[in-house]
This record gives sequence, structure tokens and C-alpha cells, in this order.
Amino acid sequence: MPGRWISQIVFVCIWLGTFVLLGLWFDGLGWWLFSGLILYLIHTLRNLYSLDQALRGGKYTPPQMEGLWAELFAEVEKLKTNSRNRKKRYNRLLREVKESTGALHDAGIILNSASEIQWFNPAATRLIGLDPKTDIGKRIDNFLRHPDLVKHLSNPQEEFLTIPSVRGDKGQLSIQVIPYGKSQNLAIVRDVTKEVQLERTRRDFVANASHELRSPLTVIGGYLDALTDDEGLPDNWRNPINEMERQAERMTQILHDLIELAKLDSGESPIPNESVNIVNMIRLIAHEFSDKKDIARVRLNLNTDVFLSGSEPSLYSIFYNLIHNAVRFTPAEGEILCTWSLIDEGVEFSVKDSGIGIPEDMISRITERFFRVDPGRSRELGGTGLGLAIVKHALEIHGAKLNIESKIGKGSLFTCVFPKERIIAHTEEL
Amino acid sequence: MELEQLGQHISRSFNEELEQIRNSVLQMGGLVEEQFDCALKALTDADSEVGLQVAQDDVKINQMELAIDEECSRVLATRAPAAGDLRLIIATIKTITDLERIGDEAEKIGALAARLATVERPRTNYRELRNLARHVKDMIHGSLDAFARLDVQLALDVVKADNEVDLEYESIYRQSITFMMEDPRMISRVMDVTWTARALERIGDHSKNICEYVIFLAHGKDVRHSDLRNLQSEVIK
Repeated sequence: MPGRWISQIVFVCIWLGTFVLLGLWFDGLGWWLFSGLILYLIHTLRNLYSLDQALRGGKYTPPQMEGLWAELFAEVEKLKTNSRNRKKRYNRLLREVKESTGALHDAGIILNSASEIQWFNPAATRLIGLDPKTDIGKRIDNFLRHPDLVKHLSNPQEEFLTIPSVRGDKGQLSIQVIPYGKSQNLAIVRDVTKEVQLERTRRDFVANASHELRSPLTVIGGYLDALTDDEGLPDNWRNPINEMERQAERMTQILHDLIELAKLDSGESPIPNESVNIVNMIRLIAHEFSDKKDIARVRLNLNTDVFLSGSEPSLYSIFYNLIHNAVRFTPAEGEILCTWSLIDEGVEFSVKDSGIGIPEDMISRITERFFRVDPGRSRELGGTGLGLAIVKHALEIHGAKLNIESKIGKGSLFTCVFPKERIIAHTEEL
Repeated sequence: MELEQLGQHISRSFNEELEQIRNSVLQMGGLVEEQFDCALKALTDADSEVGLQVAQDDVKINQMELAIDEECSRVLATRAPAAGDLRLIIATIKTITDLERIGDEAEKIGALAARLATVERPRTNYRELRNLARHVKDMIHGSLDAFARLDVQLALDVVKADNEVDLEYESIYRQSITFMMEDPRMISRVMDVTWTARALERIGDHSKNICEYVIFLAHGKDVRHSDLRNLQSEVIK
């Protein structure tokens, strides 16, 4: 038992003891004891009153007290001071949070489970026109009324949603709804007008440039073609003309790849779900190469005849580019093996060649646009540097994965795995 | 009238029903706004596909009108609302009618835009129509925001803006007559432009109506068919 209580009990004993003695001395023990108790009670009540006042808060200097009471008061004062300091700390924290969210460029809005606005920062007023005086507690879709947003709020499918700006201009807003806590949502709204504009400009530029360049190239190619067929052409011009033809061919190929990549890039519309006969496709591509001389033999190992669901031209790019690469980088004595088979994760297509291989440190980079392992070697062999970038992109939009293994001087193995969802079991066609 | 007074009910679910009704009106408004934007896009981009799409989507707006109407009738029958709540129901029923009509006008614009997309476009690419359309778009947006916040000042501003819109329509109308007289081969196209302008002007009128209901809802004063000056003094009082 703490010291102050012992001293208090001792005090009470002495106090009552005194009154008992007085009672014994002057008759009326009962009354003396009674008055002693009453006096003690009054004293205690007075101290309680002071304590009550002190607890209520505000400045109250208590009268001098003894042991137990003095310590109680000290405790109360400590509590009050702590509470005051804590409040100051919280206020300062709140102020700092307000300032930082005020400086935020993007709008942040806290919504409860019923999509009612709990709080928003000043940027929300700027971007969406929310009024801090009147709009707290109202549903967010009373102000952002776009039908897509309403659907998104109740069932956020994708991460970001882009809707036209509500401030009347031709801007675009990107909205992201993030759930947190028990059932609250944080809506982040960003002005993406510039980004959308930039994206559109970029796409238009690539599309326009490619198309514009095509026509002059066709003309040049046409004349070069005529020149090579011309018997009267002086001999010393033959080689230059052939070289020009090769270069024109290369430019056409690059343009074609660029346009294809641009189309894949824009990827606005979801890819179609065409049913594509892969076996036929592979056979067709292999056949195209078998006509050419001085190239390695292409062998096919087709273990399944399932179809794939996706975009036919994109799928064609994948298979064509992979086989074409193998052909290009494998000497005529080499071997190329294409395999198409069902596996656990889905269906797999692989191209194994005994060609010149890829240096290990460059394997991770070869799917970059315009990246060439050795500019000298692939330019000779007629590459644009875009083939694998196209393959990678086309695989991505089909949800497929690419794996590359290679050893310099020995050869390479390119493997792509298409997910089960894309497999269409082949049904006998009449 | 304070918005909070709408919320003093013994039964909390009645409160939620009214909130739900208010929210559905604004959802319908959002749909109408989007329809309008699409119709406008069809006009400026000469995209007949989008124009025809607007016609198909008008069905959704009509369905919403029926649904909200039914809900309002149900509330009237089962809750027998009074004062502010009754005004809300009345204003809702009137507002959705005007919203549905805006949807119809947008559908007309979509159809006209689809037709205009197939003929030669003037050098200005219908600049006057686009200008008029921008003002009308602001009116629709303003009237819905006023409904959402019961913002009487905003409602008054929109009502004022309708005068501008009417004047613009007049000038397009006169211009059209001149074009038709100058070159009778253009009559078909110019007629379509005039119908589009008329549809836009009608949308402006419907937005103005919605604002009048908002003022009624907020102040309990029926200000339809009032002169603008009277309107302002009535409301300020």
C-alpha cells in the first residue's frame, strides 16, 4: 500500500482516537465520536469539491492539503498538462496535413461506404468544383454524374477511369478509387488532359508519318525494279542499283513494322476473339521459307491442333517474326525446330535454332525497340530491330509470356506460352 | 429551407428513400448530359455512327423516367409526405419529365448530325451551332448542379442564360433564311442546321424549367411563368 494512504489512515486513527479520548474524558462518547466523524466528513467533502473543480479544467489553485490529497491533485494537474500538450501536438499535425494536402496537385476525396463525401482537399474544388461549405455528406455521384463513374464506384473493374472534365472545358479527368480502412474509399482525381493530348499526338504522328513515307518509297521501289530488269543498264551500275533496291526494301520493312507497332501500341479497342488455326499458320510460314535457298531447314513438331482466340494479324506477327529470326541467324547447315504443344499452363510454341546465339548479357534487352545485339551483323542480315518488340507486344495483349534462352555459337530457344483461357479446342470443320 | 430539414424524419428509412430519389434524378441527369455530349461529338466530328448510337441509348433515359416516376408515386401513396418532402417529390416528377425531353431533343440532334455527316460541310464546320451548344451544355450542367446543391443563385444564373440562348437561336434562324435564299441547293442542309439549333434552344428551355423547380423546391415559391426581374426579387426576399 502506497505511503500516502498509510499516512492518511494513521491520521484518521489519530483524529478519531483524539475524539474517543475526549469522549471518555467528558462523557458522551457517542456524541464526541459522532462529531469527530462529521468533522472528518466535512473535511473530506471540501477536498473532494476542490478535486472536482480541478478536474473540470481551468485555473484553480487548490488550498494547501496534506499527503494523500496533495498527491491526488498533483496527479490531476499532470493529466491536464499532458492532455493540453497532446491537443497542441494533434492540432499541429492536423495543420501540417491540411497544408500538405492543400499543396497537392491532384484532388483527393474521402468517401464512405455509401459514396458520401467525408472530406476533400482544395484541389478537389479546383478540378471538380466541390464546395467545402455545402458538399460534405452528399454523394459524390450527385456532382460527378457521368454514367461510367457510377458503375465504377459500385464495382471498380479497372484501376483508372477517364471521364471528360466537368469544368466545361475539353479536358479529361482520370479517377482512381482506392478502398482502405473498414469500408472507406479514397478517390484520386487527376487532370490528364495533357497526357491524353500527347498520346493522341504521338499516335497520329506515327500513323501519318508512316503513311506519308510509304508512297514515295513505293515510287522509288518501282523505278528501281524497272532498272534492274533493264538489260541495257551499264554493268558498273548493276551493283549500286541492287544495293539501292535492298535499302528501299529495308525501309519499306521498317515502315511496315512501325505501323504495326503503332497499331499494337494504341491498343484502344479490345482485341477481337477470332478463332485462329495455328497449325495452318505455322505450316504456311514454314512453307514460305522453304522456297528460299541457302537457309537452314525448318522442321515442324506439331503435337496439338488447338486453335487460339485472339487477333489473327497479331498472332501471325508473333509466329512469323520468331521463325524469321531463327532463319536469319542460323547458317544454311543449321537446324530449326518449331514445336507446338499443350502444357499445364496452356499451350506452348517454341523455336529452337542452331544459329549464332545471343550474348547472355543482352538477352534481356533484345525485345527493346531498335535494339540490335551487334548492329553490324543484323543489318547485313536484313533486320529492322523491331521484330521482337512486336512479338513481345503482341504476346502481352494475348496474355502470353515469352522466354528466351541462348548460348553464343550454339543457338537459341524462344518459347511462348499462351494461357488456357485463349485455347479453343479444335472441332472438326466440314 | 435548409437542406438539413429534409432529413428530420422519425423513420430513418424514409430519409434514405428520399435521398435515393434525389440521387436517381441526378443519375438520370448524368445520362442525359452524356447523351448530349455524344450528340454534339457526332455533329463536330461528322460521325454518323455516334449519332445513331445516341438514338439507341435514349431508351435508357426513358426507362429511368418510368422508374423514378413509379418510386415517387409509391412514396406519395405510402408515406403521404408533407412540406419540404412533398415539394421534393413534386419537383422530382417535374424535373424528370424535362430531363426526358432533353434526352429526346439530344436524340434528334444525334439523328440530324448523322444526316449532316453525309453531306458537304461548310468551312466554318457549324461554328455557330457549336457555340450555341456550348452555352446549352453549361445550362444543363448548371441546372443539375443547382438541383444537387439546392443552389438558388446558380439556378437564377441559368435562367438568365436562357435569354442569351434564345437570342443566339434567333440569329442562327435568320442566317439560315439568308443561306437558303442565296443558294437553293443548300436548303436541305440548312434546314437540318435550323432543326438542330431549334432542338438546342428547346434543351435550353427545359434546363430553365428545371431551375425553376429548384427554386420552388428551395423556397416553396412557384416561380414558373414569372418575369426574370420578378423572379429575382421574389427569391431575394
